[in-house]
Amino acid sequence: MSLLIGTFTIGFILSLLALGVFISFRIFAFPDITADGSITLGASVAATLLVHGVSPPLASLAAFGAGMVAGACTGTLHTRFKINSLLSGILVMTALYSINLHVMGRSNVPLLSVTTLATQAERIGLGVTRGVTSFNLAGWDVSVRDASVLCAIAFAVALTGTLLYLFLRTNLGMAMRATGDNVQMIRALGVNDATMIVFGLAISNGFVALSGSLLAQYQGFADVGMGIGMVVWGLASVIIGEALVGSNQVGLTLVGAVMGSVLFRLMVAVALRWGLSPNDLKLITAVFVFFALITPQFLRKARLRSAHA
Amino acid sequence: MLEVQSIVKTFNSGTPNEVHSLRGVSLTLEPGSWVIIIGTNGSGKSTFLNAVAGMFFVDEGSIRLAGRDVTRWPEYARAELIGRVFQNPFSGTSPSLTIRENLSLAARRGRSRGLGWGMKSTLVSKMRDEVSRLNMGLEDRLENAIGSLSGGQRQALTLLMATWLRPELLLLDEHTAALDPKSADLLIALTEKVVAHDKLTTLMVTHSMHQAASLGDRLIMMHRGQIIHDFQGAEKRRLRPDDLLARFEEVRRAEQLDESAAQMLAEKYI
Repeated sequence: MSLLIGTFTIGFILSLLALGVFISFRIFAFPDITADGSITLGASVAATLLVHGVSPPLASLAAFGAGMVAGACTGTLHTRFKINSLLSGILVMTALYSINLHVMGRSNVPLLSVTTLATQAERIGLGVTRGVTSFNLAGWDVSVRDASVLCAIAFAVALTGTLLYLFLRTNLGMAMRATGDNVQMIRALGVNDATMIVFGLAISNGFVALSGSLLAQYQGFADVGMGIGMVVWGLASVIIGEALVGSNQVGLTLVGAVMGSVLFRLMVAVALRWGLSPNDLKLITAVFVFFALITPQFLRKARLRSAHA
Repeated sequence: MLEVQSIVKTFNSGTPNEVHSLRGVSLTLEPGSWVIIIGTNGSGKSTFLNAVAGMFFVDEGSIRLAGRDVTRWPEYARAELIGRVFQNPFSGTSPSLTIRENLSLAARRGRSRGLGWGMKSTLVSKMRDEVSRLNMGLEDRLENAIGSLSGGQRQALTLLMATWLRPELLLLDEHTAALDPKSADLLIALTEKVVAHDKLTTLMVTHSMHQAASLGDRLIMMHRGQIIHDFQGAEKRRLRPDDLLARFEEVRRAEQLDESAAQMLAEKYI
């Protein structure tokens, strides 16, 4: 049971990563690799601040801000200096590796004896149950600590997801969505598309970094290598989410991305349980995304062929 | 209203693919006038329109619009003064956004976009009225994504969007060329209504001799990056499609003569 709750918790934490990837890949059609670096940036900024006694909410907010700066850098490289979108992301991601080491001062920072959002949620949970550390849910023994962390993160994701949804329906948010959809049109309506891309990537990487900071606080450490392959992970979640909701409505696609992240994490947990070696995880993820990307074309071709026959 | 002073544009300059698209084009539009531009392929008529819209900066010359020098204004800044409808029905609207969202984007053309709510109730009721006036039954489908509409419907909406805030200048770039004849006629009728109602200053490129003869109050014929004919007033009103075709034939014959003459001279003297 504890394993299941842990799976859900990480699924929710990484759903913020999925929302970030959704903004860059889906709204702007911008393959932004920066996320691999900015998730670690968020973790290292939050961890370093927490070690120095900064309050957890403030440290998480700072992580969001740091992510925004990283995203704005990628956006500026692309729009101002006309560097290819993938390469812009790779440049910033590479630079971030050194920056993350500088932020942390070494390759990882443990958060074992520090107050984090996770320990704060546990304390609130224990306060509510008046010190009882476990309860019985349909025959399962559930730890109050685990359950309160899960509730807190689910609440946080619901809150940030709603804020993002509302933002995407404002004048500015609609202009951003239209920029990814039809640049010609949005310029003709007086919007500076370069500014939109810089700002959009900033928000995207803000979400990714926030996800990284929460992940560090939950697992109790930040590590310089924790971001490797995270973009693909986020993309897998977004693709699963799209398959789940099957709709283009903004609100539903956001919900889909969150659901996709949780479901993907569950699939991974099951696979690991069945004896998949953790070393093969990234390989399997990459293969999965490969199939998810080619399946739509494949289906279309098959449909065409059957239509001609 | 619009004052274009001898603008020059050369693409790929200094390479073997050098193209002199505009060779000193000057044109002044009176407020409320509707000017039609026709020309052969590669005559520079669309390039001229794009230069006014700001899709690129001209090499020489200046463009003034509504009393302001916009020569160095980027495309998005000029949008404050200009409404545009494109040849490609896909260019003017955002397919994954709803009709309502597209219209509300147009309702802030050239204005700041902040965190204000995009759908105010007054705006939405105005949308319903305006869209129902298109007579396409779209007023009940405001929540549908634009991607689900036909080309003719999209162009009608694009025209509505371009003129939602009254533009100082309306640019129509062969906006019926990609439509079937029936949709094209509907869109032309709509265009006449909108231009007349708002007394818009309009610059329209077309490839249809019929449209060129029947619409507007002035007609410009372009060839090889220059204006070669300018029909105004009574002269424009008398023009028939056949007259225009005759003019094109004239141009072509002159061209052939030019080339053969040039060849002859080259053989003799080089």
